[in-house]
Amino acid sequence: MMTHEEVSELLAVFALDAVASHEHDEIEQHLSSCPRCRAELDAHREVAAALGNSVEALPEGLWSSISSRLPARIAEAPPPMPRLPVDPGGRVMEAGGPGRAGPARPRRVTAIVGSIAAVAAAIAAVLAVSLVHDSHRITNLQQAVGASAHNAVAAALHTSGHKVVTLESSGHQLLAEFVVVPDGRGYLVKSNLPALPSTETYQLWGQLDGRSISLGLLGRSPNQATFTSAGSRSPSVLAITVEPAGGSVTPTPPMLATGPV
Amino acid sequence: MQQIGEASDAQLVTSIGRYSEVALAEVYRRHGGAVYGLARRVLNSTPDAEDVTQEVFLRLWNQPDRFDPTRGSLRSFLLAQSHARAVDAVRSLNSRRLREVKDARRTAHADYDMQHEIWDLALADQVARALAALPGEERRAIELAYYEGHTYIEVARLLGQPEGTIKSRIRNGMRRMRAALVESGVQEADA
Repeated sequence: MMTHEEVSELLAVFALDAVASHEHDEIEQHLSSCPRCRAELDAHREVAAALGNSVEALPEGLWSSISSRLPARIAEAPPPMPRLPVDPGGRVMEAGGPGRAGPARPRRVTAIVGSIAAVAAAIAAVLAVSLVHDSHRITNLQQAVGASAHNAVAAALHTSGHKVVTLESSGHQLLAEFVVVPDGRGYLVKSNLPALPSTETYQLWGQLDGRSISLGLLGRSPNQATFTSAGSRSPSVLAITVEPAGGSVTPTPPMLATGPV
Repeated sequence: MQQIGEASDAQLVTSIGRYSEVALAEVYRRHGGAVYGLARRVLNSTPDAEDVTQEVFLRLWNQPDRFDPTRGSLRSFLLAQSHARAVDAVRSLNSRRLREVKDARRTAHADYDMQHEIWDLALADQVARALAALPGEERRAIELAYYEGHTYIEVARLLGQPEGTIKSRIRNGMRRMRAALVESGVQEADA
């Protein structure tokens, strides 16, 4: 067993990952019960980090590779689920949709509905990232009202590989629903967004590789709208914010509604 | 309008704990280059450095609670992870070939000047100065241990010195570095 002095002598070496393997565990063990050594180690680690702080350009495709390997995690504190209706006999009645008991939901879904506060915090970070307008043709088809829009939504819902994206508030209230088709176009199917004063507008955002991209303005009382992210991959999350009329180049928190694609 | 950097690293890690991939992406954007740069420096191999970088970020995703913001910065934490994994790789039998390549490189650039490395802005400058100001024997011991992935026992053998001497040189050198970085304002005294 190493004494405090012996460990203390090796802390700088330990911070450089340069102790012998047989010493490593003993030092770890001592650290778990010695705040003084922990503090000294932390100081050495800051120096080590400074020594190792050379930044290199990241290889193309490395993030995609990491992202594709993120495993699903079982939520330690599962998101609150809607209560299942119970009949007078006390039996749980069959209920479709999210109230159905079942295995843990996939990662992305858990992420979004698990804690909107967390999502808002995460998104707040991402919002800082510069926007890429060039690769996204922003189309606000507020003016494309009428039967043609309804037809487009209907056609999208019948397109093979389409996805329905539901955007929920922090209280899990469904505020908007989009259908997204594989070629990158998306259509507003349904909106429960309340009308805004004329000085404000709803704005739709997509998140792609950690960046928030404006997908267009939805107007102050969204009814029919479409967007396209043609020319690039589909965003992983859609989000809606309230912005000053005319829109913003970066989203203004909080996110009113978010939904995984 | 939200400015870059408005969310703290600690907030991002909290969000990662709640499965936010976008938060992980932002941490990668901020610190990925440093994590990768250190791994590449130790390993002298692009594919192996990519593997280490992946491991570091996957680990952060799976175990974000291992980062304790009260014990240092996220950058330091990630670099420690990157370094530990890179060193493991260097020390494994499979990495013998890397060592051979590295030996060859060291021979070819025996007098390379660390200040010519690509460093991170002002910090790099201060760190390089602090390192250059160390007594040569302390600097060499730290370089062999940290950048080359040797244990202090191996460093002792390489330099033909007793192990106790190398332990002392590393400790004294690290303390001197610390004092210099605090003095230059790069690090906080109570960090």
